[in-house]
Amino acid sequence: MHEFDWSSIPNALPFLWDGMLISLEITLSAVVFGIVWGTLLALMRLSSITPLSWFAAGYVNLFRAVPLVMVLLWFFLIVPHLLESLFGLPRGTDMRLTSAIAGFALFEAAYYSEIIRAGIQSVSRGQMAAASALGMTYSQAMRLVVLPQAFRNMVPLLLTQGIILFQDTSLVYVSALADFFGAAYKVGDRDGRLVELLLFAGAVYFVLCFAASRIVRHYQNKLKTA
Amino acid sequence: MISMNKVSKHYGAFQVLTDCTTQVHKGEVIVVCGPSGSGKSTLIKCVNGLEPFQSGEIIVNGVSVGDPKTNLSKLRSTVGMVFQNFELFPHMRIIDNLTIAQVKVLGRNPEQAREKGFKLLDRVGLRVQAEKYPGQLSGGQQQRVAIARALSMDPICMLFDEPTSALDPEMINEVLDVMTELAQEGMTMMCVTHEMGFARRVASRVIFMDQGRIVEDDSKEAFFGNPRSERAQQFLAKILHH
Repeated sequence: MHEFDWSSIPNALPFLWDGMLISLEITLSAVVFGIVWGTLLALMRLSSITPLSWFAAGYVNLFRAVPLVMVLLWFFLIVPHLLESLFGLPRGTDMRLTSAIAGFALFEAAYYSEIIRAGIQSVSRGQMAAASALGMTYSQAMRLVVLPQAFRNMVPLLLTQGIILFQDTSLVYVSALADFFGAAYKVGDRDGRLVELLLFAGAVYFVLCFAASRIVRHYQNKLKTA
Repeated sequence: MISMNKVSKHYGAFQVLTDCTTQVHKGEVIVVCGPSGSGKSTLIKCVNGLEPFQSGEIIVNGVSVGDPKTNLSKLRSTVGMVFQNFELFPHMRIIDNLTIAQVKVLGRNPEQAREKGFKLLDRVGLRVQAEKYPGQLSGGQQQRVAIARALSMDPICMLFDEPTSALDPEMINEVLDVMTELAQEGMTMMCVTHEMGFARRVASRVIFMDQGRIVEDDSKEAFFGNPRSERAQQFLAKILHH
């Protein structure tokens, strides 16, 4: 029977906290960028301009058909070279965080765009007609009338996707980036206490994600009764 | 004001409108009626370009609707439209429903727009509801707001697409009263409606449609007194004696 020894955790807390900050940074950047890019993709997909709609469909299908961890590795390997040659950065600059954020954002945008496309389609066509009849241009009607309603319906789904994204940030361990999961793994490995550290990390993920999903559900119920 | 010449439209092989030709002069109130599926709604949606059409010509106030060079948004800002399902913007308060297009489309300053909005709400008897959301109003009230919203743009003419069809019977009159008042003030109107009482009271002319064609286009006296086509006779018999 394994003897549990939790003593290495208190000292490691500052290091783990730094890891948590990295996880949150990746999550937040990817959510924000993913929603912005996802909205543009959704609009392209719904556009009557065929090349735009094909591009968006191709993009979404590509990213939804490959494993996330592979995308992260691509970006880990490609983005540094790309930025080095584009901006003349010195070789060996640490760009793991940037490439991780880029990878997540581009990957998540594919998922967000599908949520947003469904959200836009959930707004009745009559709303677009009414906005147009008042003389609004397509982009005004989208911005002022359709998207605000679409986003209101979508908030729970977007937040849920954010929670999944937060869990998935643990995959950046493939680039040896010390996010929360990576940090816990490193400490456990160093002190020979991997089981304890991973249990601890699991508990933290559980508490955060469970609490967040409760908040989402509360919001969802409020939305329903409103 | 509005002139249609041989307007035709089809969805694939399905012919929705065939050679529709008519004229609406300034100050006229035209009631468009006919059985469902006869193309009435499609016809008035062609007037402001919400529905494209394949052949023929529609001229509104000197501007050709079908011309690809026409700025449709600009044209639509001068033509008011009221829909069957009201289509108020549910995420905005009533007063904001009345100001948003004034500010964003016409570039009026927000204060002026609000003032105008309140005046129009007064006119449809709903000023006290200004700060509420559309979902908190009854159907009849929502439709009156929708009329006020269309009027906020100072339109040169108004299109009504079955404005009372989605309403409970006891709310129909409050909407028809607003429309009657508007007609008496000289607004040019094209109304798709089954309200024959309204047609008798205020219409200058009645257009009867069947299977995508304009079958009758006559003064209301001639239409109600002595409809020429058999289809219109049947229709009137059904609608008046139920």
